[in-house]
Amino acid sequence: MMEITKQIKDIARQLFEEKKIDLFLAWEKSDFDFQSMPFFARGVEDVDKIIFDEFSIHNLSNALLRFRDGKERIGIVVKGCDSRGIVRLLEDHQFTRDRLHIVGVCCPGMKDPLKAFRNESGFEKNIDTDLSADKCKDCIQPNPVIYDVLLGEEQPVPLQGERFLKVKEMEALTPDEKYKFWEDTLSTCIRCYACRQACVACNCRTCIFDESRPQWVGRESEVSDNMMYHIIRAFHMTGRCIECGECERVCPVNIPLMLLNQKLIKDVDNYFGPFDAGLKYEEGAKPPLSKYRENDPDDFL
Amino acid sequence: MKGLLEFMGIEPERYQTAWISGSEGNKFQEVMHKLVDDVTTLGPNRKLRYVK
Repeated sequence: MMEITKQIKDIARQLFEEKKIDLFLAWEKSDFDFQSMPFFARGVEDVDKIIFDEFSIHNLSNALLRFRDGKERIGIVVKGCDSRGIVRLLEDHQFTRDRLHIVGVCCPGMKDPLKAFRNESGFEKNIDTDLSADKCKDCIQPNPVIYDVLLGEEQPVPLQGERFLKVKEMEALTPDEKYKFWEDTLSTCIRCYACRQACVACNCRTCIFDESRPQWVGRESEVSDNMMYHIIRAFHMTGRCIECGECERVCPVNIPLMLLNQKLIKDVDNYFGPFDAGLKYEEGAKPPLSKYRENDPDDFL
Repeated sequence: MKGLLEFMGIEPERYQTAWISGSEGNKFQEVMHKLVDDVTTLGPNRKLRYVK
């Protein structure tokens, strides 16, 4: 990690000196040992703050959305999942490739700052010794799929055993059991929309949940509106979710959002042939739900 | 959509989709009868509702 940090700094410094970029997206250390923060370096003087460590868990490709209307040329550090986010942005024409200088890092799996924080707090009785993030356990793509420079050694796929195991367990329940589970889980939702903000696939300029005329979904945080929100959010992510797990990580009430997302990934995979969002970038290629084919299955609706 | 609703615990009979052209009056009738029968068997919906 120290080695990678040093390499990233060198690359950033060189790019700034050659005036190839205006902005470099990476991480900096926060006040806590177990927390890194996204960091936007704007010049050579900022480069020393850059760091890459096992708590660099954030998906920086989401931050690119803030610059989609600008002309800045941006350097960005990506892990495997983040790079899929960049492919999604390119496919959606939210960004052009020539504005980006992508530094890919082969990701050995990240640690969860929240778990570390709980251990540190002194309130937790059962200290979790395994700090690795939940989202990294289901990872299928630890190595960047799109990059200009690749750092680190290629990592093996961390996913052990069968994919979509939790989804299959859930599918086996009866409708009432399933509804009970979701009612219990989603009634805790406070509608902070953090899952929407953290998502790189959520890149609409006007969001259906922000519109007030007509108001499609009520603002009240009770079960029926919460369910409406989560069904729509999940469904809008169909064929777009890159499984970076940011929605679940940022959720303040720990709603298992990836369960919904993975269900839809499984369905898309099932109905539209083998497909995973953002695994490969081809100019002009479109994901299954962005184009019409005559043999599209009816069951999907 | 149907898969997701089922996953969230809505009975599959409650949400049905069918492809019916404007000229297929008979098919429309059949589908609607089937839908009404299915839903009548299930009884009133208590899910996704605001229960005070």
